[in-house]
Amino acid sequence: MSILKSLLKMRKKEYPVQPQEAAETGPDLKSMSLEQLKKRINAEFGSTVDLSMDELKTEGKDALLIYLKTMIDTKLLKETILQSLSVKEDGIELTTEDDLKSLCKEKFGGAGYQLVESFDDIITALLYGNIIIIFKDMEKALSLSMDSGEDRSITEPSTQTVIRGPKDGFVESISTNVRLLRKRIKNKHLRFEKFIIGSETNTSVYIGYMKGISNEKIVQEVRKRLGQIKVNAIFESGNIEELIADKSATPFPLALNTERPDSVASNLLEGKIAILVDGTPFVLVVPAVLVDFFSIAEDYYQNFMMGSFLRMIRYLSFMIALITPSLYVGILTFHHELLPTPLLLGIIAQREGVPFPAVIEVLLMEVTFEILREAGVRMPRAVGQTVSIVGALVIGQAAAEAGIISNIMVIIVAITAIANFVSPTYSFAAAARLLRFLLIIVSAFLGLYGVLIVLVFIVAHLSSLRSFGVPYLSPVAPFIIEQQKDVFFRFPIWSMRKRPAYLKSQNPEKFPKTGSPSPPPMEGEQSN
Amino acid sequence: MLTERTFKRDWCGMLKENISLSQLLTLLINFLLGSAIVVGVGGDAKKDAWIAIAAAIMIGFGIMLFYYFLISRVPGQNFFEIMEFGFKRPIAIIFSITYVVYFLYLACRVVRDFGELIASAILPSTPIEIISLTICLLMAYILYLGLEVLGRTSEIFTPYLFGFLFLLTILLFASGNANLYEIKPVLGDGLKPVLNALFPTLIVFPFGELIAFTLILPVVTNFKYCLRVSMLGVGIAGSLLLFAMFLMIVTLGADALQRSNFPMLSSAREVSIGNFIERIDALVVFIMMLGILVKGSVFMFAGLKGLEYTFRLPYRYFSLPVAMIVSSFSILISVNFGDHWQEGLEIVPYFLHLPLQFGLPSLLLITVLWKRRKKKAKPGVKGMKF
Repeated sequence: MSILKSLLKMRKKEYPVQPQEAAETGPDLKSMSLEQLKKRINAEFGSTVDLSMDELKTEGKDALLIYLKTMIDTKLLKETILQSLSVKEDGIELTTEDDLKSLCKEKFGGAGYQLVESFDDIITALLYGNIIIIFKDMEKALSLSMDSGEDRSITEPSTQTVIRGPKDGFVESISTNVRLLRKRIKNKHLRFEKFIIGSETNTSVYIGYMKGISNEKIVQEVRKRLGQIKVNAIFESGNIEELIADKSATPFPLALNTERPDSVASNLLEGKIAILVDGTPFVLVVPAVLVDFFSIAEDYYQNFMMGSFLRMIRYLSFMIALITPSLYVGILTFHHELLPTPLLLGIIAQREGVPFPAVIEVLLMEVTFEILREAGVRMPRAVGQTVSIVGALVIGQAAAEAGIISNIMVIIVAITAIANFVSPTYSFAAAARLLRFLLIIVSAFLGLYGVLIVLVFIVAHLSSLRSFGVPYLSPVAPFIIEQQKDVFFRFPIWSMRKRPAYLKSQNPEKFPKTGSPSPPPMEGEQSN
Repeated sequence: MLTERTFKRDWCGMLKENISLSQLLTLLINFLLGSAIVVGVGGDAKKDAWIAIAAAIMIGFGIMLFYYFLISRVPGQNFFEIMEFGFKRPIAIIFSITYVVYFLYLACRVVRDFGELIASAILPSTPIEIISLTICLLMAYILYLGLEVLGRTSEIFTPYLFGFLFLLTILLFASGNANLYEIKPVLGDGLKPVLNALFPTLIVFPFGELIAFTLILPVVTNFKYCLRVSMLGVGIAGSLLLFAMFLMIVTLGADALQRSNFPMLSSAREVSIGNFIERIDALVVFIMMLGILVKGSVFMFAGLKGLEYTFRLPYRYFSLPVAMIVSSFSILISVNFGDHWQEGLEIVPYFLHLPLQFGLPSLLLITVLWKRRKKKAKPGVKGMKF
């Protein structure tokens, strides 16, 4: 309920001057009769079907119980509230506000009740799944959370799956998500702040950070940017991501999104800030730098050598996904001499019957593959078989046999596609998908020189990006030697003692120096 | 577009930017390698080119020290602002415009070198205009994003430069093309050819061109270590150049080296291992392109800084127009590659490089020192520490 309290405060802060609403809240609760109140609320909600208003009598006083049937747990309501209200307490007379307070203390003490007075607050409370009890001739109404809490249960994340590591993922309910984080970081310094964003959806957005670890300036910047959002609707963290990014004209994601509580928790402890949005399992982590999109939680759960190897594989496959098709076009169009002669002859022989130049062939296949991929994601599960058969057989094999494309082209498209799937973050892989087409087209005109030009262009673009003021390519450029332990390689955990320097954490050291673990001295051996 | 909140603004509302020491180091390395590695330097000395380069590195240290000394007289000010300090604004503007033309001309030369390389070796049927247009557009984009982005870009690519150079060396020796006997006889023709190569061509190109860094040194974050890092940069770049030249000599031999327009490319073409690794031109072009990109951008940046000083407008506004000027003049400055070379070896060193790299800066240094002294003589005014 303290959340509700801050929520109500927030609302007041967010809409400081709204004349017409202020006029509506004019008459206070005391001056209206219950009948009038009923009418008024009915008018506000336009007698929507799920609005329920019951009159009841408690402590010898008429009261009105209001709630949205669909938002609350009716069983809980019957079992707790109505039962305790029906028990008559002696010696309490509801006349003053103090009486109301003591009644509430007695009956709902500890249940997190709240006294609200303005009409606006009542409506907001109703929309968030609270019940409201208005007593006759009282200035304040009682509000109690009865959220039904019916949500998807915690399941394994559908993206970013791991072999070793925790299998729980975030869900759509923001309070469950906070709980998942709290369960991992049992620390009083883990703070959450609430924002209400979206003038029509009133979506709850939390920011979570570690007090004393994360950089206060960055937290302030996040608060500022969230506060500046003036859109009507927020449905997914993607909306937020786009609204708070430092620069929107870029294919690269400037905030990390993840479904995994363990990776959010570890990022929080590095000094980053999590942004949780109600209604989506994807949590944003800012500031994000490029290397974050290549490291996953599992890197830290397995042997550091394997972790480093897999990380390098990820970088390699990003490059493969980005440039393979354009290399094919460039080499076949301009630089035959770069290939060993037998290989070149093989390719030429295969392409003999192909009626298109290399670039058309590549574009044709790449676009086809993108269509297939999109179909694979959107189609109803029942027809999944059809798409895979059509995709693999008809388009792959038959097109090659029909002489529309060469066999090597099928290999190129396949390796590009598979390499693209390696990327742990979907939104980052999307950048490679888009830029690939730019590279293909440029390499058709300028060959490998064009590929180089575009690559330098991409790097220049990347180095101009910032995520909440942090250079996107740090710690590689600007170069920080200490952080190289966690970029291309993953060093043993005992050696990674420092938090990322680019975040300018308040507490840059994670733990005291311990050195590597070593076996105990053998029996009979002198230990010194 | 510009992330303004992260920069401080200086006196005329321009965005202030900083580069780190490591970025300065990589800029210096790439700048010095730049076109020098493309066209090869010290060719006059034939087999002893490497000796000439070794001597030039020593002089290069001196040149760097000279520019650093000039810059550190008036802390935080770049070359053009120091000219204002020395000569007053109207004269400084005249000189800055001279320098703008000079820097942009040098940028044109660099772009032309690269254009000729690509057009003759990599993309023979593509017009050279397209090559210089594309590379200039890229430079314009980088400079529009700012010096920081240039620094970071070069920081990212420099490890690859070392990697590829290393790989090239291994491959040349592995394929048996490199023959250390080619280096003999050392100083077979006496010292004269070495000295001929050294003065003035090898001194003004590439080391004298470090004058462009008088615009970059003042914005380095840790100015204290600037001198050390610059010296390190000159040392590393000089040794790499020396090494590359040595590699070319032992691979091609003196005669082929002299006849070749692009000796580095010619030596890379010699590589042939096991019928699989045959042509690694792409690697070499990569090394060259990075150097050219940095060198061209640094010159263009120096020219843009001059325009910024003259017109008191942020230099980013000029980046695209100036890049287009550079792109077209890179074609117009000479009728063909031979003409371009002759210009670069016989005219530019004497009429442009010597006066503008050493003449004017020396004059400026004397004026600044004299003014400082006058100021120091007055009581209450603190002198600048070196």
